[in-house]
Amino acid sequence: MHSSSFRDPSGYVFIEEGKVKRIINPIYFKQYFALKNSGFFDKLFKNKLLITHKELSITDKEIVIQPEQISFITYPYEWSFNQYKEAALLTLKLQKYSLEHGFSLKDASSFNITFYKGQAIFIDTLSFDFYVDNSPWRAYKQFVNHFFGPLLLAHYHGAQSLKMMSNFIDGIPTKMIASMLPFKTKLSPFLYSNVHLLSRFVDKYNEDKKEDTRRTTLSKKGQLNIIKTLYNYIKKLSLKEQSEWGNYYNKTNYTDKTFKLKSNITNSWINKLKIKTLIDLGGNDGTFVRLINSDLNHALVCDIDNNAVDYNYRTTKENKEHYMTPFVLDILNPSPSIGFNNTERFSFLKRIQQFTPDATLALALIHHISLSGNVTFEMSAKFFASFSKHLIIEFPQRGDSWVEHLLNSKAEFKEHFNFYNQESFENAYTLFFDIIEKQIINDSKRVMYLLKVKDVK
Amino acid sequence: MHFLYFDPAIGALIIQAIVATVAAVLLFTKNLMFKVKSFLGIAKQDKQDIFDDINIDDSEIENKPSSDS
Repeated sequence: MHSSSFRDPSGYVFIEEGKVKRIINPIYFKQYFALKNSGFFDKLFKNKLLITHKELSITDKEIVIQPEQISFITYPYEWSFNQYKEAALLTLKLQKYSLEHGFSLKDASSFNITFYKGQAIFIDTLSFDFYVDNSPWRAYKQFVNHFFGPLLLAHYHGAQSLKMMSNFIDGIPTKMIASMLPFKTKLSPFLYSNVHLLSRFVDKYNEDKKEDTRRTTLSKKGQLNIIKTLYNYIKKLSLKEQSEWGNYYNKTNYTDKTFKLKSNITNSWINKLKIKTLIDLGGNDGTFVRLINSDLNHALVCDIDNNAVDYNYRTTKENKEHYMTPFVLDILNPSPSIGFNNTERFSFLKRIQQFTPDATLALALIHHISLSGNVTFEMSAKFFASFSKHLIIEFPQRGDSWVEHLLNSKAEFKEHFNFYNQESFENAYTLFFDIIEKQIINDSKRVMYLLKVKDVK
Repeated sequence: MHFLYFDPAIGALIIQAIVATVAAVLLFTKNLMFKVKSFLGIAKQDKQDIFDDINIDDSEIENKPSSDS
């Protein structure tokens, strides 16, 4: 059994011969056949809202299905603001459609969604249950903890707060969301009822186990109203900081000659090696990957800056670049493994090792890792060598304006960073890699390297 | 039938009646304002958005009315 698949008794995910498969238990047979035979699944497949699957076998004891395989899963704490929004809207859309067809989402976890072929997609096929007339949405609080709360916090405190989700696998606690929102949110009837009052009610009835459950009725119309207003509100939600980044592209100087030369070198190497999958660590808004002129099957583009990733995400949507998956990643602190036994959600390293991209791009990155993060060359070389065969890395030498700026900020400790030079870079990196090619970018203090991981016996 | 593998919190179920009432009022006023604005000719067109509306396309291709009638 897959280590993240123990919560729901309806079935579980397992991996066989490298393929993700799903067992459905008899307890969920009725739901499964209803969803299948009514055309509900087909409709969601057709609209690309739910990951498709094929049936492998049916017996009295179990049904085995095999979903379409997703090569790299991103988690909520790696999403940019608009990705997060899209995932929230998808959940509401599915709940509305479910209600209209006699079903209801039994949970609303943000981990039920990931990004695939340029859009959010629901991946937990067994989350749909029968709707019981006049019952409220059991996953309402979960929706607030997983989606609405984090988005509100991002709106008021910046997109970085979305990272908090890596500490709360069950979503941000209701009380915490309420306490972190500014006072003026209490004056909005919508926010007051969905967050502040919710928090008070959850607290109030927490102790009272004997509460009469007959009081918990809600018409379908009422539930649809909740869903619709949440949808309208979230759709309009934006980041306060966003305007600052509106012209992100124009702010970054991508037109200079160096950039073009760098792109030409990378392109020739990628074509020569017939690279099909890659990860660009520090990919900013994806401009560089967009300039790659060969057909890539899958490109992961990550950056520490949520706004750059968001800009990239919106661009991929506009250009319909389904091969690109942008996500937020801090190389100096990549996503950890979380959950029970530390195996419910996998670390970035584990997922990227499984993905094993043909090449890793580390452009304009090493000076930040080494000089801002104080990571030694040997440590970074070992890290890069652990997940892909080829590394295309740019080394800005001493004298480069950025390097000088970073070194000068070290003040009296500047000498501690004397190791930062091309020779020690090469010495450390050749412990793990062979240098295939090396090219100086004309008129700059930067050198491009094409490295191949040494064969380990 | 429900699989209670997570706690929906009883308070969160009870409160939905209140949340739904607030939602109904909001939707009602939103519609009303839209009608008034449309009547006065000042309704704003939704600008190009990367997200769709909440409805899932439920039409079957076969059932689409033909345009040649």
